[in-house]
Amino acid sequence: MSTATPATPAPGPVDEKRATFEREALVHLDSLYRVALRLTGNAADADDLVQETMLKAYRAWDQYEKGTNAKGWLLTILRHAFINEYRRRTRHPETVDLDAIEPYSVFGDVQDDDPQGTFFDRIVDDEVLRAIDQLPEQFRETVVLSDVEGLSYEEIARILEVPVGTVKSRLFRARRLLQRKLYDYAVGMGYIKASPA
Amino acid sequence: MNCRECTEHLYEFLDKELTPEVEREIRTHLEDCPPCGEHFDFERLFLDFLQARCRARGAPPDLKRRILRELFDE
Ligand SMILES: [Zn+2]
Repeated sequence: MSTATPATPAPGPVDEKRATFEREALVHLDSLYRVALRLTGNAADADDLVQETMLKAYRAWDQYEKGTNAKGWLLTILRHAFINEYRRRTRHPETVDLDAIEPYSVFGDVQDDDPQGTFFDRIVDDEVLRAIDQLPEQFRETVVLSDVEGLSYEEIARILEVPVGTVKSRLFRARRLLQRKLYDYAVGMGYIKASPA
Repeated sequence: MNCRECTEHLYEFLDKELTPEVEREIRTHLEDCPPCGEHFDFERLFLDFLQARCRARGAPPDLKRRILRELFDE
């Protein structure tokens, strides 16, 4: 109908939506990707999962209360998408009896030889990530949200839809399990000598 | 507070998830009890190490481009 378009169009609602989405959601891309990578276990699925999360988030953007916890909101969407579409084909849900895991600290083994844990310094990123990937899923997601993304117990509880007490106990066991794996690895590599058991 | 009670709150203390009163009790115990103090230091180093190793990497650069293209048809 009209052929006269203004040279610089005034920002419309779409531009406004895009601007807030970029400012409040897209800034969390790195976090989403790190969590997705640990959940799916491979880069291609992590890419797809994050992309799908952003698409879902953009469609639901009107329901997100601006200025509140966007990272938590996005991670909840990501986790639901993972459970619904990826978990079944990427990894089998573990049947480990999580309460049977004995969470004793590595500190007892190293307090005489290396109380400062300097052997940790020699363990590279990939080895740590591999150890995280070997954790049972419930432990893995808890440790990722806490130690990788730095969320509070309350935020983690909301995303995982479990009580705060559950977050605490999972985190405790997950960290101890991880610590033990990395210690065993360091002993195997000769970074520290095994404590006489 | 004894050593067992203190150690039960280990990660909550390091994660700063305790009430100020309990936190203060732990601090007092740690000052008076070198073994617990060393143990807490070790666990803190472990958490710092974990974070340093895991937070370094982010999303691949082309992922953001793919998402922008998908969302805004760029
Ligand atoms: Zn003590």
